[in-house]
Amino acid sequence: MDRDPLIRRKTAISYKTEDKTVMRGYNLSDLAEEGYSFYDAMFVLFQNRIPTENEEKMLKYEMGVFLEHSMSPSAVGAIGVSAGRPNLPVCVAAAVSTFGGVHGPGAAHGYMLNKYLERAKKEGKTVDEMAKTLVDEYLDAGRPVMGMGQPQHIDSDPRAEPIHLRQEELELEGVYLEFQRALEKYFHARRKKEGRSYVGVNVVGSGNTALMEIGFSPNAGWCIGSVVRGFSCAAHALFNMKKGRAWGASRNEPMVQMIDLSMIKYVGPEDRIVPKKEEQQEYARKQKEEGEYKKWVI
Amino acid sequence: MGYLDKEKTEELNKIKRERKIGNLGSPKNPFDYYDREYGTVPRDTERAPFQWVSEVAYKNVHRIVARGYDTTELMEEGYGVIEVLFVDYQARIPTVEEGQMLNYVMILALEDGLSAPAAISRIVARSKTFLTQACGASIMAFGHAYGAYSAFGNRLERYLDRVDKGEFSLEAAAELLVKENLHDEALGVSGLMLKDPAAKRMIARAEKLGVAGKYSAFTGEVVKAAQKAFDEPVDLDMLGATGATMMDLGFTPEATWAILAVTRSFAAGAHYIEEVEREESNRLGQELTPMEDYDGPAERPVPPLSERDKHAKSAVCRTPEEWKARFEEMKNVRGSGFSIVEEIEDPSKKSGIKKVGKL
Repeated sequence: MDRDPLIRRKTAISYKTEDKTVMRGYNLSDLAEEGYSFYDAMFVLFQNRIPTENEEKMLKYEMGVFLEHSMSPSAVGAIGVSAGRPNLPVCVAAAVSTFGGVHGPGAAHGYMLNKYLERAKKEGKTVDEMAKTLVDEYLDAGRPVMGMGQPQHIDSDPRAEPIHLRQEELELEGVYLEFQRALEKYFHARRKKEGRSYVGVNVVGSGNTALMEIGFSPNAGWCIGSVVRGFSCAAHALFNMKKGRAWGASRNEPMVQMIDLSMIKYVGPEDRIVPKKEEQQEYARKQKEEGEYKKWVI
Repeated sequence: MGYLDKEKTEELNKIKRERKIGNLGSPKNPFDYYDREYGTVPRDTERAPFQWVSEVAYKNVHRIVARGYDTTELMEEGYGVIEVLFVDYQARIPTVEEGQMLNYVMILALEDGLSAPAAISRIVARSKTFLTQACGASIMAFGHAYGAYSAFGNRLERYLDRVDKGEFSLEAAAELLVKENLHDEALGVSGLMLKDPAAKRMIARAEKLGVAGKYSAFTGEVVKAAQKAFDEPVDLDMLGATGATMMDLGFTPEATWAILAVTRSFAAGAHYIEEVEREESNRLGQELTPMEDYDGPAERPVPPLSERDKHAKSAVCRTPEEWKARFEEMKNVRGSGFSIVEEIEDPSKKSGIKKVGKL
């Protein structure tokens, strides 16, 4: 049996021989035997260190609370893919891949905080002053402030403030929480001053702050957040694969299905005659000249 | 939008009927193509409107609930990912020992060196993608050979069902399983872990915690049967140890497959990061494929288009004998797919709820 690696790389993460698998210098089997937690292993993987007890507790809280979120783009993605009945991992892969610039944008939040902390140091401003600068710059430019607002939890994400509180209770308050708290203060104040509605902190704003505080990079934090959601999305896909209707369009179900024909609302060009092939050139030239098609280009 | 009104529909259909469109006027068609409706199907008011049906979780403005437990309340009480996995997949809180065992399994499943999930993650990373794209791709690596927890677990269940029905003893079922699946990648017994004690340590830990059950017992019998059947040394491998332990913890084969693929994806994220940090991105057209690795047809001139008939060879076979001859011939064309025979099955157990959403 060929046991050569699929690709050859210098790596500082792990190696695997016939007699052991070693991650960041620790034999994985020994790590488990010693009683370390999966959360501890995350610190070893991404930070090359054993965490303090409170750091481990914070990660346990953050990952656990982020795992399940019922119907979000990630779960809907998994369910949608499951309708065609592929292998289950495909549904999970789709779910994790939904995390981008809007859904769970942990890395974007992290990079935003790092950028402004860097500026605070360079420009000789306090964390509080720089948080105000961030809020003003983002809102002046009409840009969404990462970590604020959630379209379903309109009174603030139910997970968000409890994460901040747990971080404080565990005495893990550092520069990130100070920045995030200040950011929220100035964000709320400015919206109030402008007569705009309340927009609370979301789970990325609080959860990613905690992740950054306990030493994870923006991308490592994003990985932890988006991949842990994969667990629950797999459950949603599995429920649909085992108990839902394949294809999602059956007329035999008592409830209208996800992609029943009646679920389609079409707002494109009206029905029209397909030109004969011999008419193509003249038809196409005229269509280009008139330019009406341009309003449909995406 | 709904359907287009009758007058406009008839007008459009009339034009098309007169113009004639390809074969659409053929009487072989199952309905009259020149008498079709335009526009979308109106809303169905006879049935309940569509909703996302779930037994797993719901949320509202102020809470997220998995299997009846508020997830924030779960965390405030000190639970974590390990317990929520039992909640989501089994609708129950695990015992402390079950939680400890799942924690153990997940640490072992986290990293596996530069195997397929890490390799795929790194390859995707080189295209300058989001990290999540690479993590998603890594999960795709789990199939019925690598990380074959679905195939492994469902097979155990099939043979154990027959034991439960009194068809065989446990030992006889194990022997039959080995006989019928000797060279399958999802056997759970192989030469992969002859020097690495991790698989056996996992089973020992499950026994110590009192969570080992019928699946690890049966897997033990499968190991014994396989050791008799193979000429070379074989023993319990990580697939066998992990799959049996997860099923003893109450997870279905599919749940096991998903949980362990996602677990591996955390480390695939670290591999993505390292790839971006240490290597350069790839551009379209950058990689060359050495000629010495090519064993297809020798280089040949492209025939002039005007001589297509002279060079073209039809694939149409008029008799089963012709079909069979071509099929065999095509097996020599690597990459054509004729050497692969498989069944694309519906991996779900059944389809349809039929009790949800009645008006």
